Amino acid sequence: MKNTLTIALSKGRLAEQAIELLERAGYNCDAAKIKTRKLILEDEISGMRFIMAKPADVPTYVEYGAADIGVVGKDTLLEEGRQLYEVIDLGFGACSMCVCGPADLAGRLDQIANKRIGTKYPQIARDYFEIKKRESVEIIKLNGSVELAPLIGLADVIVDIVESGRTLEENGLTVLETIAPISARMVVNRVSMKMKADSINPLIQAVKNQLAEG
Amino acid sequence: MGQWQFHTPEGVMDYLPEECSLKRRLENKLRSVFNGRGYDEIETPGIEFYDVYAGSEEFTPQETLFKFFDHKGRILCLRYDGTVPAARIAATICRDVKPPLRFSYLGNMYRFNEAGGGRQREFTQGGLELMGLDTPEADAEMIAAAIESARELGIEDLQVSVGQVSFFKGLIEKWSLDDAAACQLQQMIDTRETVALDELVRQFGLSDTDQKILELMMNNDGSTTVIDSLLAIVDYEPCSDALNNLKSVLSVLEDYELMSYISIDLGMLQSINYYTGIIFKGFTYGLGFPLFSGGRYNGAVAAFGRDLSATGFSIGINFVMTALRRQGLIEQRKQDIVRLLYPDNLRKAAYTAADRWRRDGFRIVCEKISSENNIFPKNEGIVSDTSAESLESAFAGIENFESVIVIMEKQDKIRIYCKEC
Repeated sequence: MKNTLTIALSKGRLAEQAIELLERAGYNCDAAKIKTRKLILEDEISGMRFIMAKPADVPTYVEYGAADIGVVGKDTLLEEGRQLYEVIDLGFGACSMCVCGPADLAGRLDQIANKRIGTKYPQIARDYFEIKKRESVEIIKLNGSVELAPLIGLADVIVDIVESGRTLEENGLTVLETIAPISARMVVNRVSMKMKADSINPLIQAVKNQLAEG
Repeated sequence: MGQWQFHTPEGVMDYLPEECSLKRRLENKLRSVFNGRGYDEIETPGIEFYDVYAGSEEFTPQETLFKFFDHKGRILCLRYDGTVPAARIAATICRDVKPPLRFSYLGNMYRFNEAGGGRQREFTQGGLELMGLDTPEADAEMIAAAIESARELGIEDLQVSVGQVSFFKGLIEKWSLDDAAACQLQQMIDTRETVALDELVRQFGLSDTDQKILELMMNNDGSTTVIDSLLAIVDYEPCSDALNNLKSVLSVLEDYELMSYISIDLGMLQSINYYTGIIFKGFTYGLGFPLFSGGRYNGAVAAFGRDLSATGFSIGINFVMTALRRQGLIEQRKQDIVRLLYPDNLRKAAYTAADRWRRDGFRIVCEKISSENNIFPKNEGIVSDTSAESLESAFAGIENFESVIVIMEKQDKIRIYCKEC
């Protein structure tokens, strides 16, 4: 327990990019690259252990100390609101969290008294409208194809991540307000940062150096 | 019959004999540490008026209190911590007691938090409160007591981070930042979000030196040299006062010979409106949360109308149990129950013998011999008289036994069967 570093990765593209970055930073990640259905991949020589988790679960694993380090999108961090150290902006997976809706709502968003908001990110939507803008809103939690909601009258606007904006455009929607820029972050458990400082600090530094070299 | 008949609510648990006996052993050890340091135990009600906690909203957010109403419609809540009730007592019932006041507590607390990873909604916490002594020695006394408690409970691999929130408060004052800006900065430092540093420095119009200060606060190496590095570049009295106070506390901890456990973390900024000076947290392996935490909260008693400084700490028994379990440090409980079996005609003699043995500290269960319980272990029995000495000598050399069965043969004769593990 003392000598292994457990890293939780968000299954999919983010995990691949994280592994690539760690390798460039001089960490052997062969264990994590094996094509397998195993969810825990361990390299006994380097003492690294990788957990392949659903992105939304990564902050939970790290907060509870089941993993020391996690790589996860800022969108998930904002939504989950966990007590973590958020040490590095890894740069990849860049996009924005936005309020989107029909173009004719541009500049008139404040005029809708009781907004109905369709989103996969209820917490982010609540924080933005209730705390930042001090508006009461009705949140409708959806699990995908969020763009549908304003089109068929289920919601007035949506809160979602926007990468290229193509999906929005093809469905006649546009970005009304930007909530926050999003990218992948490296997060660290607050206890691990203290107890395993000898192995975590060098890792953070190596990744930072690698990012600076670009 | 409702569908929840077979369940317990989320975040609470049953303690079965093995766990419960471990918990009691830990609680007893903790009590003896507190007692040895001259702290008197108090017990406060499990139910308080909500108003008791409403004054410390930042430390006890209303959504984390278990609330309900009394018959007059007043809001009640379950005890959230040990400090606020102790502060209430110090300012009310004990208002005329000459300071310093030293209180200890050990009891169940209730928080409507997310449960998991060792965190419960009903959990047992012990702690100390030292009121009316605003000195570096008092702060160090709390840290030393917290470390002793953790070690006494079996946690040796321990790291204690010490910070000083007045340093950050001084910076806010010096840079004349409004609440929103202060909150942004606090969050950035507390989450070590170095990513946002450049942006905030620009936004608030801070200098290069200011940026250097923030970087030093967020550095993770824990070394005490950070204090001198900061003293060299900070030119604002409240900030340097805070750093010098931290240094004084460390010099006391040197005399306690505890510096090997200590690391400095000036970026610990949780509940900063509640804490007013030194703040500390203890960490160990296998537990995602701090094992203990504490610090100085000079406003806690003042909130109840008595001007009395205060410092303290609390340690979570459930956290200790989780950490011990994950570190493989739990000793197996010794089996120590003796079963005394008797035939019908010797019942009275059996009860008399059992009573005598119990007074000598044995744990005795008395049962009538029946077809269900007369399956004896194979070990050769030892026939003996019914004195406590002979019972003791029967299994004196045995470290662990699976069972001891005593059969009453005659008024003053017993046969002892002892089965080793």
